[in-house]
Amino acid sequence: MSWLLMAMVAALLIPIYTACRDDDTWQKMLAFASIATKTSMAILVVSVTRDDWMVGVVGVIILSVGNAALMLLAHIIKRVNES
Amino acid sequence: MTFYLNLALRLGIWFLLTADLSWANIIIGVSVVLFLPYASTSSASLRDWLSALWKILKAIPQAYIEAWEIMLRPHDQEVITMERVPPRRTPGLVFLDIFLITFTPKTIVLKYHERGWYEVHKIQRGEG
Amino acid sequence: MSDGLSNLCFALGMIFWFWGTWPLLGERTILFKLHGLSVADTLGSMSVVVGLLLRIPREWPLLVLAMISLAIWNTVLGYVLAYCSSSREGSDA
Repeated sequence: MSWLLMAMVAALLIPIYTACRDDDTWQKMLAFASIATKTSMAILVVSVTRDDWMVGVVGVIILSVGNAALMLLAHIIKRVNES
Repeated sequence: MTFYLNLALRLGIWFLLTADLSWANIIIGVSVVLFLPYASTSSASLRDWLSALWKILKAIPQAYIEAWEIMLRPHDQEVITMERVPPRRTPGLVFLDIFLITFTPKTIVLKYHERGWYEVHKIQRGEG
Repeated sequence: MSDGLSNLCFALGMIFWFWGTWPLLGERTILFKLHGLSVADTLGSMSVVVGLLLRIPREWPLLVLAMISLAIWNTVLGYVLAYCSSSREGSDA
C-alpha cells in the first residue's frame, strides 16, 4: 500500500506547485479545491494502512464538511470583484 | 410525499455517520430529524423525484465511460450551449439536474437562467 | 482475490488523478481545467474509496458516506467555481 501513498503525495505536489505559481485568484482557488480533496483522501488511506480507524473518521469528517469553506470563499471573492 | 423522502435522506445520513442501530440511537436520530426545520416549498411529484434519483444511478457508469473517452482521445474544443429546463421544476429538482449535468466530466453547468435555460460548457473532439 | 481487485481500483484512481491534475500546469482556461479536475477529484477519488471498501468492508457506513459527500461536494464546488469565475466577465449578469 505504500506505493499508493507515494503516488498520492506526488499527485499532491502538482496543485501545490500551481497554487504557489499562479497569480490569478481563480486558478488558485481551483488548486486549493484539488488540494483539499487529495489530502483528505490521503488521510483515509493512511488510516487504512495503520489500521487506526479514528484517523479515518477525521478524514471522512473533513471530506464531508471541509469544502463548504471553499464555496463560501468563492462567493465572497465574487462579491468583492463585482463591487 | 417528498416530506418522507426528505426525512429518509436525513435519517440515512445519520445512520451512516453513527453506524449504530440501537434503540437509543434510532430515537435520537428520529427526534433530531423531526426537530430540524423543513422547508415547505412547492413540492414536486414523487415520480419526478424517483426518476431523477434513477438518472443519478445511471450517471455513475456514464461518467466513467466519458472519462475514458476524454482520456483516450483528446477533446480540445470548448463550446457553450444552452439546454432547456423541463417545465415546472422545483428548486430541489433543479439542483439535482445541475448535479447530474456537472457530474459527467464532459459537461459543466455554468449558469442557471431564471427563464428556464441552463448554460452548459462542453468539451468536444477537435476536427484535426 | 479481493486484494488484487482493490489494487486495480487504486491504480485506476491514480491514473485518473494524474491525468486530471496534469492540465493544471498548462495554460488553458479555468473551465477546461475544471473538466479535468472533475475526472481526477470525483471519479478518481471515488474509485480509491471503492478500493478501500474492498479492503475493510466492516467500515462500510463511513466509507459510503465518504463516497456520497465526495460526489456531491466536488460537483457542487465545480459548479460554483465555474459560475463565480465566469460571471466576472459575463455580460448579462
